[in-house]
Amino acid sequence: MNTEELIEVQERWNIPYRHSAGRFASRFLIALRDEKKVYGVRCPRCKRVLVPPRPFCERCFVQCTEWVGVSDKGTLEGFTISYQAYVGLPTPPYASGLIKLDGADTALMHFVGGVDLSDPQKAKKAVKIGMRVEAVWKEERLGHILDIEHFRPVQK
Amino acid sequence: MAISRQAFAQKEEECPESKKLRCPIFTPCDGEAKAMSKRVAIVGIGQTKHEGSKPRQIYDEVVFEATKRALEDVGLDRGDIDTVVVSGWDVNDGRTISDMYVAPASGGYFKDSSKTAEEGIFALAYAYLRIASGLFDTALVTGHGHAESPFELISNKVFDPFFVRPLGISSITTLALQANAYVNKYGITEEQAARVVVKNRGNGVNNPYAHLRREVSQRGALNSKVVSLPLRALDCPPQSVGAVALVLASEDVIKKIAVSKNIAWVTGIGWATHTYHMDAADLTHVSALEKAAEVAYKMAGVRDPIKEIDVAEVHDITSYHELMAYEALGIAKPGQGGKVIDSGATDIGGELPVNPSGGVLCTNLHSGSGLLRAAEAALQVMGRAEKRQVPGVKRALAHGISAPAGAIAASHAVIVLEKE
Repeated sequence: MNTEELIEVQERWNIPYRHSAGRFASRFLIALRDEKKVYGVRCPRCKRVLVPPRPFCERCFVQCTEWVGVSDKGTLEGFTISYQAYVGLPTPPYASGLIKLDGADTALMHFVGGVDLSDPQKAKKAVKIGMRVEAVWKEERLGHILDIEHFRPVQK
Repeated sequence: MAISRQAFAQKEEECPESKKLRCPIFTPCDGEAKAMSKRVAIVGIGQTKHEGSKPRQIYDEVVFEATKRALEDVGLDRGDIDTVVVSGWDVNDGRTISDMYVAPASGGYFKDSSKTAEEGIFALAYAYLRIASGLFDTALVTGHGHAESPFELISNKVFDPFFVRPLGISSITTLALQANAYVNKYGITEEQAARVVVKNRGNGVNNPYAHLRREVSQRGALNSKVVSLPLRALDCPPQSVGAVALVLASEDVIKKIAVSKNIAWVTGIGWATHTYHMDAADLTHVSALEKAAEVAYKMAGVRDPIKEIDVAEVHDITSYHELMAYEALGIAKPGQGGKVIDSGATDIGGELPVNPSGGVLCTNLHSGSGLLRAAEAALQVMGRAEKRQVPGVKRALAHGISAPAGAIAASHAVIVLEKE
């Protein structure tokens, strides 16, 4: 018997989940779909406008109730551009950004597009922290975060 | 120096409500509690050789090997252990209740055993509390790395399914976002990050247990492929298979067992968790690590870490994060992490050598890398780190991060270890 023959088993998990969005995320996603508009909530204590909206402010620990519309233009607060492919993740290159929309106090995570990302050194010069960006809306919207295709540099 | 700027750095994270009681984060042994709690030391250490894969060993045998070595190291048997704390990220391991396998492999059969679904350094923290409380005298703690699953895809599932998960965000992208914000604010250069890579990979050559044991050149680091700006392939750690086990004991028990050369007292310990929302975080400093260090330093009486700590093992999840850790730990002033690596202060032979073991850039046991930092720091205090030993270590620091989501919701722990 060849004791050095080793067995390896291949396996794939495919587990169905239901995720209830609740009334806060639902309203946000429905407004993306029906109004092409971004909404947040204002914390009654610290007065920050939180985008995406959430039922409570984690810092003040109070319920949020007041809805506030914010702009679909904002400032890029942080970004990275990914060139490495990972199983099950987007096909590179793609840019991920934190965008503080005008009127919001927190940043929305989204894709940054409308820029040639193929060469890292050139892309690094085209995308800058602090640059102004705007939402590019999809024609067909489904009530999903990707109803905004990406944020692109504001056209001057 | 470290203390005053930490108070400032934490401000934005503080709850407006905390002004009444002023107890923002757990402080393990403060004031009266300190007088009541038992002294705790690491008295036994075991680790396996760490590698990219171990096809000849089934999942839990790796942990068994490390546990056996830790018990042999202190001359105890499984029966001498009161409590067992294991650790790990189940989905990464492909076993949703991983302690079904890992607890028996850690000597947990028919004992008080539990698991923290965190990095192993938190298992160490919980075991410390159990002994300090006086309820237990000995504990066995394990951490392990398993590398047979797509870590970044699993990391993506940490995020909420409505706002962030569909954007493909994972550990590496959040770490890159943080590194990029840090670079943008302070002008940290790619060369300075590459110096960290060259230092740690060079140190790893001296560590027979390390996964990657090949030196790399500055040019090699700078020419490696961009993974996620500003991170290049060599700025990022490998994914390693291996395990580490520690035996902890109370002072009462240590008096009874002959382990005089094998003692690393836990004199300071602190931990804190970063915000769960990336959207409002200041990414340019690691506030949870600042807080953890503040607590651990206060307990150990450390005021000037560069002068008072002899060696540090930090969780260099990327080369940039080692520089950020210098700042959070008070080894560098804010924005000066790059200057400190350039000065050579953290090289072997420098004022405060960092990661003589080669760090996480050489060996990355996902969910065990922080505990491995504690094991390496303990070996330094015991004077048993062989070719990687820093001469004359009296006080060592270990830093571990529990963060399957990368920079977000990252829990940091800092442990100060000392000779008698």
